[in-house]
Amino acid sequence: MYTKEELFLAISTVIDPEVGFNLVEMGLIYDASCDDEGNAYVKMTLSTKACPMHQLIQQWVKEAVQKMAGITSVEIDLVWEPEWNVTMADEHVKKALGG
Amino acid sequence: MFSVSQDFAPPFKLISPFFILGAIFYLLSVVFIFFISTDNLSMLDTKILSFVHLFLLGFAMMIIFGAMAQLVPVVLEVGHFGVELFYAIWPLLSIGTIMMAFGFLSYPMLLPFGGVVVLIAMMIFVMEIFLTIKKVKKFNLVISSLLISNIFLFFGIIFGLVMALGYAGMVAVDINALLKGHVFLVVVGYIVVTIMGLSVVLLPMFGLSHGFSKKPLEIAIASVSLSVLAVVLSSLTGVAFLAYVGYGVAAVGLLIYFYFIYTIHKTRARKEIDIYAKSLIFAYSSLIISLAFGLIYLAVGYEPLLLASAWMIFFGFFAFVITGHIYKIIPFLVWFERFSPLVGKQKVPMLADMLPAKSSSAQFIFGALGVVVVAVALLLEDGTILKAGASFLLMGALAFVKSVFYMINYREGISQ
Repeated sequence: MYTKEELFLAISTVIDPEVGFNLVEMGLIYDASCDDEGNAYVKMTLSTKACPMHQLIQQWVKEAVQKMAGITSVEIDLVWEPEWNVTMADEHVKKALGG
Repeated sequence: MFSVSQDFAPPFKLISPFFILGAIFYLLSVVFIFFISTDNLSMLDTKILSFVHLFLLGFAMMIIFGAMAQLVPVVLEVGHFGVELFYAIWPLLSIGTIMMAFGFLSYPMLLPFGGVVVLIAMMIFVMEIFLTIKKVKKFNLVISSLLISNIFLFFGIIFGLVMALGYAGMVAVDINALLKGHVFLVVVGYIVVTIMGLSVVLLPMFGLSHGFSKKPLEIAIASVSLSVLAVVLSSLTGVAFLAYVGYGVAAVGLLIYFYFIYTIHKTRARKEIDIYAKSLIFAYSSLIISLAFGLIYLAVGYEPLLLASAWMIFFGFFAFVITGHIYKIIPFLVWFERFSPLVGKQKVPMLADMLPAKSSSAQFIFGALGVVVVAVALLLEDGTILKAGASFLLMGALAFVKSVFYMINYREGISQ
């Protein structure tokens, strides 16, 4: 129903309030897909396991995808492998962070 | 899939009194410095004991306890056993601290009563932490360090209460012998080990550090914990050699810890030197200077070096590690409470927007200058320089109080 790029575009509205970048440009969204029945799947990570916004961020991602027309369910798969590091972020993020 | 924890952010009304009172006690501690004379200054001077308890209990412990209400579920990944118990801790700790400060100053009979009130506050805290840790299924370095530090705190306050009874003349104990054990259990065993354990979570989280080894931290925590045991044993048995072994092992452990912090700093992705980074750089530099003063004191026996060492670890290391983290913790809690429900509905601030740029900078600059000037005053035993340093610190403390209230009251952009 939606391509990975379209899903990523929807998720890019979710911003990490600590660093000020969206989750897609941070490189935290590993994969996304959606079948013809509107069941979406998002594979993502966080910059740290101890992130106190764990639940909130997942909720925001879910809501961002649910806003897309025809979406019936959203499954968030929070993974820790591969472990996130700054090389996964977009160039402008790396530059802004100074990495 | 990784299971996410519940209750990552307890109600802000539960935690905010700890931060407000902590900031006020910090200000009071700084004002106290104006009344300290450099003549015959000694670690056992009752004025110094009053000042140290006001600072450590009222500021350091108060803010650490408040921060733990939020950090424990984050690092343990389980909810609190009974987070409501924290409502009882801050009033008891405040009252007990004031009673102890006055007790040391001029009313020794207040000491055991103040000590008992502090004991109750700390026992509630320690038991709540133990019962929360009991819910954890798999132990890691951070959880082990929290367990160790709270065991040290438990025994540290028992030592402290016995000493308070001794000061009031209610029991006959060798206070000087117990002092080393009490100081090491509470200051090194609890505060230092807690900071060490939490730093592996907090510093990489805020600095986006990856790819560093945790091995140095494991060695550092083990060394510092062993040093506490050695000093406590020396305190109880009177074998001075054990205490020196403890001091040496503690110094080695702290140097290894400093190396670990350096590796986190080197591997961080966020290179920005904000108020948090500045505070930590100053804090860890103070730790090294404190260690140097302490080691030179052991070699030459010049007491002002010991006082300057304690000063640098209290007002340089502890104070700046704490204030630095306050600039991260309060904005997060306020944001979580006031702004997170508005995400997607209206524009919300970033956490960095909630920092008071001017007062946080003033707090850092005046506070850091004050710490250095007072250290020089202690080394030179110069009362005029001490007052000058206290003046800088007072400016910094006022700015800190202002910053805390600014962050707590931040509501910009909330449409009514």
